[in-house]
Amino acid sequence: MDDSDRANMALISATGVSRHVEGPAGRLDILDDVSLEVNAGETVAITGASGSGKTTLLALLAGLDLPSSGSVRLDGHALDALDEEARARLRLRLVGFVFQSFHLLPALTAEENVLLPLELDGAAAPLARARAALASVGLAARGAHFPYQMSGGEQQRVAIARAFVHQPRILFADEPTGNLDHHTRDAIADLLFRLNREHATTLVLVTHDPVLARRCGRIFDLVDGRAVAHTA
Amino acid sequence: MISARLALRSLRREWRLPELRTLAAALLLAVVVLGAVATLAARMQRAIVMNSASLIGGDLAVDAASPLPPAFAQHAHALGLRTSRFAGFPSVAFAGGRSQLLSVTAGDAAWPLRGKLVVANPSGRNANVHAPAVGEVYVDHRALVALGLQAGQSLQVGGMTLRITGVIQQQPGAGDLIALAPRAVLSLADAQRAGLLGTGSRAKHQLLVAGSPAAVAAYRAWAKAHLPGDAHLVTPEEVQQRLAVAFARAGTFLKLSGLLAALLAGIAVALSAQRYARRKTGEVALLRALGASSRFAFGSLAFTLAVPAVLAALAGVGIALALAALAFTYAHGLLPPAARAAPLPLGPAFAAAGIGIAVLGGFALPPLARLQSVPPMAVFRRTAIQASRRYDALYAVPVLVALGLLALETGSWKLAGVLAASLSGAAAFTVLLTLVGLALIRRYAARLGPALRLGVSALARRRGISLIQTCAIALGLTALLLLAVIAPNLLQSWRQELPPDTPNWFVINIETAQRADIQRALHAVGATGFNAMPVAVGKLVAINGVDVENAPFRGHDLREEAAQQVRLSWATALPAANRIVDGHWFQPDAKTPEVSLDIAWIRRFDLHLGDTLGFLVGNRRIDARLTSIRQVDWSRFNVNFFVLLDPAHGATLPHTWIASFHLPRTRSAALAGFSRDFPSLSLIDVNQLLDRARQIVAQVGAAARWVLAFSLIAGALVLAAALTMSAAERRHEAALLRTLGARRSQLRLAALCEFGLLGAIAGLTALLASALGGMWLAHSVFRIHAFTPPWATLALVALASAVAVAALGLAGTRKIVRTPPLRLLRRD
Repeated sequence: MDDSDRANMALISATGVSRHVEGPAGRLDILDDVSLEVNAGETVAITGASGSGKTTLLALLAGLDLPSSGSVRLDGHALDALDEEARARLRLRLVGFVFQSFHLLPALTAEENVLLPLELDGAAAPLARARAALASVGLAARGAHFPYQMSGGEQQRVAIARAFVHQPRILFADEPTGNLDHHTRDAIADLLFRLNREHATTLVLVTHDPVLARRCGRIFDLVDGRAVAHTA
Repeated sequence: MISARLALRSLRREWRLPELRTLAAALLLAVVVLGAVATLAARMQRAIVMNSASLIGGDLAVDAASPLPPAFAQHAHALGLRTSRFAGFPSVAFAGGRSQLLSVTAGDAAWPLRGKLVVANPSGRNANVHAPAVGEVYVDHRALVALGLQAGQSLQVGGMTLRITGVIQQQPGAGDLIALAPRAVLSLADAQRAGLLGTGSRAKHQLLVAGSPAAVAAYRAWAKAHLPGDAHLVTPEEVQQRLAVAFARAGTFLKLSGLLAALLAGIAVALSAQRYARRKTGEVALLRALGASSRFAFGSLAFTLAVPAVLAALAGVGIALALAALAFTYAHGLLPPAARAAPLPLGPAFAAAGIGIAVLGGFALPPLARLQSVPPMAVFRRTAIQASRRYDALYAVPVLVALGLLALETGSWKLAGVLAASLSGAAAFTVLLTLVGLALIRRYAARLGPALRLGVSALARRRGISLIQTCAIALGLTALLLLAVIAPNLLQSWRQELPPDTPNWFVINIETAQRADIQRALHAVGATGFNAMPVAVGKLVAINGVDVENAPFRGHDLREEAAQQVRLSWATALPAANRIVDGHWFQPDAKTPEVSLDIAWIRRFDLHLGDTLGFLVGNRRIDARLTSIRQVDWSRFNVNFFVLLDPAHGATLPHTWIASFHLPRTRSAALAGFSRDFPSLSLIDVNQLLDRARQIVAQVGAAARWVLAFSLIAGALVLAAALTMSAAERRHEAALLRTLGARRSQLRLAALCEFGLLGAIAGLTALLASALGGMWLAHSVFRIHAFTPPWATLALVALASAVAVAALGLAGTRKIVRTPPLRLLRRD
């Protein structure tokens, strides 16, 4: 597949994706025959109640896990045809993450946490870019601070800087405001959408917050692992 | 490179983590213990060689029936060695109408090069001297009594009149088993002038050399290639066969002790690595999600552990050397003065650092490698981590590392295998006991009170951690009990092998008719434990009917050995310090001749039960069937023989008797009169050998105490590492329970139950494993057969350890119980 083919197809495409696990009470279906396409530059919210399979779908789309059946393509690459190391390389090149519980490395400073994707990728002038990313989230002065020295909102801002610093084409965000208070939640959401616009990133966002979901171009609603609504 | 950078950045904060500190401390301890013990052992070995050298009078001697060619001294000088020449011969001394056969040493001005010649001068003061000046002589007290002389008077030897200028108190060569009659030392020049060394004399000539070990080794090789036909080399290692067992035992004992301490540290390393890996699981999942390769994630973690490990190992080398230097300077009982002067060997401490790193690699690898299987999905759900069996085989690595190290240190794969099997057995037994305990808990927990139920079910809930904790504590306790209780008992049993009344004199050439008189005479001077055995001198002439000269031996040396003189003896009952390892002891009145051999002969000549050996004694030929194989404990100072015949046939051979007895040192002078009354007898003084053997036990004991001190710290680390393994889970649970209204006393009781059970299982396993291990070590490794495990002490220490585990566990929860639950929950 060449670059022109890729340009014509969806950036993310999931076809007939199911995911089940074996539990003590037998097979548990988390996702059942879900299909979804996300084009470059789109913003999509995946919504649903707790346990509806939102995070599992996000993980499958990002190549963090493989479906039990069906297929996922990321930028034209069939994920099930790649081994875990190849998928990791693909993520490094294409994807940024923002998590509900921030997931900063506690032993690294804010600046070093932001540096991480650049260093993993062997990018040029990493320090200047990391500092610029921190400045873009309003934390230029906090680069030398460790996560435990920062508030939840500040930690999430560092995580957002880390997600955007290597200019990924896709940003996956899992309940990015779920652990924050009301006021901080809005500020973080603003920041996320502002940066998303500035970087022209494709955003796939998991949330059960309808206000946040409505800020996306499209809402993909899940109930018990099945897609029930597809609001444009 | 990036993984190294990430590791260094992480370390900046993580060096404070308890598991990294425990890991570094454990490794430091391992290197310190192994390094100090190995340095000590290397220096002790040097000290022992020096001790032996002091018995020879030099680092090496060339012994010959005639004076050696000048090239031998010249080559020694060329290598930078000091030399001395002396001759030993028997000669009769006369004074005031009395005469006495003396064992004379005639040395040059440099003699002795090593060891001490101590004489009391006429004013009674002791002085370290060399061979006397021309016209003078030193004699021992026995000679003075025998000749009725005093220091300052003169005697005649070989037609010369020599003035007695000193009474010999100590002299090199005293451990030589052919030192017989009263002694005299005179100058070599006098002996040459008097013609005592001329053709036809019975003098043996020796050239002694002394200097650096390398030069001595070079000279040894040269001399071996150039020896005249009548000469042979006398080396420190060969000079005292009886001490060989003691040396070997001492080395094995110290090395095993050091290694047990290091393995103890290994357990602490394993626990720390396990805890570190658990802590890092989430981080690895995140790195994988961000696109890091598994090699990167593993590399950065391995590097994070390697940096403090290498630093700790290097610090360990420094501390080990400093401790060894300190021990040599201040612990006077540990080493003789001569050895303290020798330079500190650096090799063993650095080798210990290498072993420490091997321990780290072996024990930390399995939990770290397992992190490679952490899926990126775990960043969302910890449950996504599936128990992967892929890395299970890696848990064999620490076992293999331990096995390899044991084999390396003890030089025996069998010993290493049995030790490793014992430790694995102990671990398996602990696992079994824990699993049974946990099953019982699950079944009966409902019937217990709430606090008790809470405590014991906590163990069942954290099954994996509980198993690791009990195994680690049990193995740690086993090693500690082996070191703290079994080792001192082994040493005590060893010491008892040489009780105060151990025979310290031998007397040979006793005719059968003289036996009773000699026993009476010795009893009269205060000797005890008189034990006589017959001895016939012969030759091995045939094996299974084939002449020894034509027998298919594997080498020229073996043929020469077979052709040497053999001393045969016989006895109705199995002599003390002998053990039958195969076959059966002689039947009374055997119809055909039977023979029993020491296992060394069996191995040397590849013999089997039922083989027939032909001996020629005088002109009598006796063909005996091999009916038993014995293991002789040569470290005992009893009269022992490689070859024993059945008494019915042995007694028919021409023979004399050899006897051993104990005589208090203060009464040694009384033997002068005895040797005058029985001039045909030869007396052999083994007091110095006995001293050396006892000194070795004392030195080992002193060194073992050092090892034990370090082992206790290593044991404490294992305990700390094991008890803190479940700290995070326990903190979380305690916070929840406190939030739900649990009282402090209930939480304390729960913790006491949990750790009490853990301690009890570990204590019981350690008690059994150390007792069985001790018995096996005593019998199979150290050949101390009088050993029984000190059950009472072991039980007491095991109980105390179990209580300590419970108490420490309880103490560890004190802070948790006192902290407000909200703070604990927030920290999670």
